[in-house]
Amino acid sequence: MMRGPEARVRFITFLLIVVLMLLVMQLVRIQLLEHPAYAQEARALVERYYALPSPPWGLVTDRNGDLLVGNQPVFDVGAEVEMIGDPVAAAERLAPHLHRPVGEIVAALTLRPEEQNRTFVWHPLAQGISQADAEALSALHLPWLTLTPSWRRVYPEGHLAAHLLGFVNAEGDGYGLLAYEQRLLRGERVVQMGEVTGSSAPMPEEAVSGFTMPYPGTTLRLTIDRTIQAFVEGELDKALHDYSAESGTIIVMDPRTGAILAMASRPVYEPEHYASYAKEDETSLFLDPAISLAYEPGSVFKLVTVAAALDAGVADLDWSYEDRGYLDYGGIRVYNWDRRAYGQQDLEGLLAHSLNVGAATLATQALGAERFYDYVRAFGFGQTTGIELMEEAPGILRVPGDWQWKDSDLATNAFGQGIAVTPLQMATAVAAIANDGRLMTPYVVAERRYPDGRVVPILPREAGRPISARTARTMWTLMARAVEREVPQAQVPGYRIAGKTGTAQIPVEGGYDPEAIVASFVGFGPIPDPQLLVFVKLDRPHVPPEMRWGSTTAAPVFRRVASRLFTLLHIPPSEAAEGP
Amino acid sequence: MSVLWQKRTHGVPRRRRQWERTVAIAIVALTLVVTLLILAYLTLVASNVRLARQIWKVGEAVMTQERVNEALRVEIARQSAIPRLQERSLALGFVPAEEVDFVRLDEEGGER
Repeated sequence: MMRGPEARVRFITFLLIVVLMLLVMQLVRIQLLEHPAYAQEARALVERYYALPSPPWGLVTDRNGDLLVGNQPVFDVGAEVEMIGDPVAAAERLAPHLHRPVGEIVAALTLRPEEQNRTFVWHPLAQGISQADAEALSALHLPWLTLTPSWRRVYPEGHLAAHLLGFVNAEGDGYGLLAYEQRLLRGERVVQMGEVTGSSAPMPEEAVSGFTMPYPGTTLRLTIDRTIQAFVEGELDKALHDYSAESGTIIVMDPRTGAILAMASRPVYEPEHYASYAKEDETSLFLDPAISLAYEPGSVFKLVTVAAALDAGVADLDWSYEDRGYLDYGGIRVYNWDRRAYGQQDLEGLLAHSLNVGAATLATQALGAERFYDYVRAFGFGQTTGIELMEEAPGILRVPGDWQWKDSDLATNAFGQGIAVTPLQMATAVAAIANDGRLMTPYVVAERRYPDGRVVPILPREAGRPISARTARTMWTLMARAVEREVPQAQVPGYRIAGKTGTAQIPVEGGYDPEAIVASFVGFGPIPDPQLLVFVKLDRPHVPPEMRWGSTTAAPVFRRVASRLFTLLHIPPSEAAEGP
Repeated sequence: MSVLWQKRTHGVPRRRRQWERTVAIAIVALTLVVTLLILAYLTLVASNVRLARQIWKVGEAVMTQERVNEALRVEIARQSAIPRLQERSLALGFVPAEEVDFVRLDEEGGER
């Protein structure tokens, strides 16, 4: 048995080993067995969700790269309220830069009863503060004031193409292109978990540990040309003034592709200040009349009826009928616009004189309901066109089988009554005639430019072939002759134009408004190589009754627009295209 | 008699002493290596933190420059907006053309 120092040394050694073993066991327990729980607890102390400053939205430019919608750098201001000693004094210092009444700021800087025991309370103070105001606020050196970089959408051209461009509000609702393409345009905001500072800002070390930079939005290059758009808007304003019309629309399209070169409607609004219109309860201004508001097209629709009859083979250039000035069908009597009888008429006479009886005769006696409505649908009516704009309406098309449809609808629909279409639908359908019978989907986005440098051009899309190329060419001839015979106001010197006027009554409860009309003209040219289509619509022109026609109001506007655009787009005259 | 007791009373046997010296050198060398490794690690961590701060600052500078760039882009667009151009053209004495026609040239380039 050992005694003395050696025994004590051994005993102490044993004790040390036991203590060491206990320490090792604790280490194993903490570092291995219970590690996840402790690690989570530690992370909970230092890690929070943090958001990096929002990336800019994608830009919107016209076809030449001129900026239509950009981003203005602004700041959102907030306050860590629990750190403020004297809210009134603080509010007085902030008010000149926040552009808010002192009382409102005091309320925002004061702790609410339910927040009294919290260690961190943050209240927003203002949004969209300018760079100058942000610098002034920074100079105040208030440790509780937070300035978060943000963006505001700006429209450098003002209300140019306002309806087409539209806007998106903070909730993601809106109109026009910006609302339709907001998933592309909106940048990808970074919200992730990581180590943060006392003021919940990410620690600099986060930059090298799984940090993702915000991804800006995609830039869209449009098919519209701002010069053409501005010119068209100017002409529309002039027309509304000259004819005292309440509203109007002009659409300029390349019929070969469906690309929209300009699309203007009045009344208009400033998209940059959409919130003020909402405050004034003027949200009806946000709807684009070109795509969202349907109207009865009137005589322009006869183009669809005649094209359908030609394509179905139930009528040709030798087809004729006896025009007695009226037609009884489905329990109603259809009259010509002037209630005159025109005697023996062919298709050219039908279009040139815009004879309701002729169109109704074609639909009811030559085509029949089934074929007529098949063609109407094939031309894209009763459905949206698919343009990349929010709130597009399909129009109203009643067909046999619908409870509202009646026999007389076939006769009235043939000349554009009892059917509602949007201006874009009408322009697209006529563009199909100009494009050898190929119906193109109208579009406004020519190209997407992704932030990673990829450029994706958007190709024209064919939506169908309602009529053959042969029928389309026959229609060109008929329409061109109609313009030459009856609508000199639409003729452009040097260019052969195919077109059709429309003078539609406006439906009101129990019938039609006897005083008001919708005057329109749609035309394309130059024949034989149509490169441009212009649709003009003027609502309720307040002019003398003898002037209240599409030929006297809308057709001259078409001429002015077309003649300038042929030059701007370097489209040579018909004689040059045909050769000497 | 234990080894410990031998050390205290008679000194360490020569062979064992040589062995313990080797162990001591090894321990010192190991400590040195571990210390160096720890130093290297700490230097790396410190350098990482410094780098992270630099990256953070560069990131912030890039963001600031991007914001300035966007503001300039908008300002340029505003200054070259069509209403502004019209205003400036009129101030310079230009007037809108009433009619715009093609000038058609013959094969020699003369007007016809």
